[in-house]
Amino acid sequence: MAEKIIIDTDPGIDDSIAILTALQSPELQILGLTSIFGNAEIEKTTQNALRLIELAGKSSIPVAHGSATPLVIPLLEIAMQVHGGDGLGNTNPAPSKGKPVEKSAAEFIVDCIQVNPHEVTLLPIGPLTNIALALKLEPGIVGLVKQIIIMGGAISTAGNISPVAEANFYHDPHAAGIVLGAGWPVVIVSLDVTHKTVMTQSYLDEIYGSKNPLTDFLKRILPYYQQFHDQFYGMGGAIHTHDPSAVCYLLDPGLYQTENVPVHIETSGLCMGQSIADRHHQWQNHPDVKVCMDVNAAGVLSLIKNRLTQ
Amino acid sequence: MRHFWIDTDTASDDAVAILMALRWPDIQVDGISVVAGNVHVEVGAKNARYTVDLCGKRTPVYIGSDHPLVREPFWGYFFHGQDGMGNMNYPEPDMPAAMGNAVEAFIDVVRKRPGEITLITLGPLTNIAIALKIAPDIVNKIPMCYSMAGAAATLGNVTPAAEFNVFVDPEAAKIVFDSGLPILMVGWEHCRGEANLVEEEIALVRSFRTPYGDFAIDCNAHAIPTNQQWLGEPGLSLPDPVTMAIAIDPGICIKRGKHFVDVETVSDVTRGMTVVDQLGVTKKEPNIEVCWQINVKQWKELLYQTLK
Repeated sequence: MAEKIIIDTDPGIDDSIAILTALQSPELQILGLTSIFGNAEIEKTTQNALRLIELAGKSSIPVAHGSATPLVIPLLEIAMQVHGGDGLGNTNPAPSKGKPVEKSAAEFIVDCIQVNPHEVTLLPIGPLTNIALALKLEPGIVGLVKQIIIMGGAISTAGNISPVAEANFYHDPHAAGIVLGAGWPVVIVSLDVTHKTVMTQSYLDEIYGSKNPLTDFLKRILPYYQQFHDQFYGMGGAIHTHDPSAVCYLLDPGLYQTENVPVHIETSGLCMGQSIADRHHQWQNHPDVKVCMDVNAAGVLSLIKNRLTQ
Repeated sequence: MRHFWIDTDTASDDAVAILMALRWPDIQVDGISVVAGNVHVEVGAKNARYTVDLCGKRTPVYIGSDHPLVREPFWGYFFHGQDGMGNMNYPEPDMPAAMGNAVEAFIDVVRKRPGEITLITLGPLTNIAIALKIAPDIVNKIPMCYSMAGAAATLGNVTPAAEFNVFVDPEAAKIVFDSGLPILMVGWEHCRGEANLVEEEIALVRSFRTPYGDFAIDCNAHAIPTNQQWLGEPGLSLPDPVTMAIAIDPGICIKRGKHFVDVETVSDVTRGMTVVDQLGVTKKEPNIEVCWQINVKQWKELLYQTLK
């Protein structure tokens, strides 16, 4: 039986790669996409989620409109230099014909989990506001969800949006704290592994060379993201593999080395959004989460290429 | 007929406030959502259901959030007694809790009656914050919210800086205050001093010889001495009923002003402090109407009217 998943996402260029990879994976059944602000404003990420399922010819997959703002802190400036003003590298594709479902993302998540007890994997690859709200709306989902695989955090490595914080946790640190403290089965696919998994120009060219028309779309949106990586990190056309790594963990957890440890999130000040592993349990009681500390990067890249070029 | 929704962490003074709304002739209470605060949410729901029963109503009581948004719970049993009702140990009420999610029930009612539901909040703002986050459209569908919350430019009660409801869930309060909802903030300061019911006034309420009057005093049996020992306040302090009196008759608030009000969520020392920018020094758009003064005589008369 296919694995039932909900992708909570702020597409987003790397979100687009992740979503298309998931859509191309027969072992996954995508119950829906839930949108969240982050890489772009919520109206744009909802629209982009709709565009992606339409592009993949899977318009029957519902999209639920999520939170426009973080839980507590004000909305931070959108990093247009990373994903473009439209979230898709300023390619401004035609609007989708689809519309989001009536329910909010948080309610959609709660409903899906209650209807499919112990079967649903949540795959949040944006700020965690919707997931935190779902938990607050119906705390009972803690015992009903299968697992939550999060792209977020930086455990034993530097941050990206700040010297200490990864962007998804930084955009809503309170939500991240709620989700990591809830005591449900969480996996964090953090910068510790996504920075080690690098897609080069020649790797991307191999993907673009396939006959799958979805890769044409990636070919249009990716140069903007590559340009940012070059300007910020001097990567010469290569990019880090953030959001697609969460999908890869779900498809093949054996590609990752993990560690179980409580992770706390700083919610204010200079270090806001920092994810801190308390390996010696020196702080107050906090549930363990599984953090990815190392990766078989070649295996991950081969898996993604395999799916996108099918 | 005016429509009210009450969000409450029902302990003694909440119960009196609920009773006031339920017994007011031109008000229909469409629902009550309970939140963790003074007492655990199930205890609060029982107390709310008991109050509804006492008033001979069938108002649905929904069980809401059992935990603040981000913080650990902080309870008020020390003030209200082990049952939240002055240790009166009232029997299990006939009416069960309503089925369904409190937050979604509240959103549904507001969407079904846009522009008609006056919201009265008597506890920490957790339920309302969640509602506003998952259904931001309701901001423009709620004409007015009366909140027993904070302490405007004055002392707190659970800490020198903060009033209980905002202290318990400061993040929720910040969400609600920042949401654009039209709010009249009725601070804890309006149920102190002259606004308290002193011995003669408590005797007056007893003299009504009604179940409502006796209930109002009985369920506060623990709060009255605690208020005296803890804060040195004589008599019976009724923060939630003062707020409800203003919701019923807004004229009881005789001085109000709209200001930018922020909630402290970072500091430990001033956690939950409601910071009122009276001079406009932050240059931020005023978001909250602050009640600065009430007509004490009118507040008490309105209370008596509901207890007779």
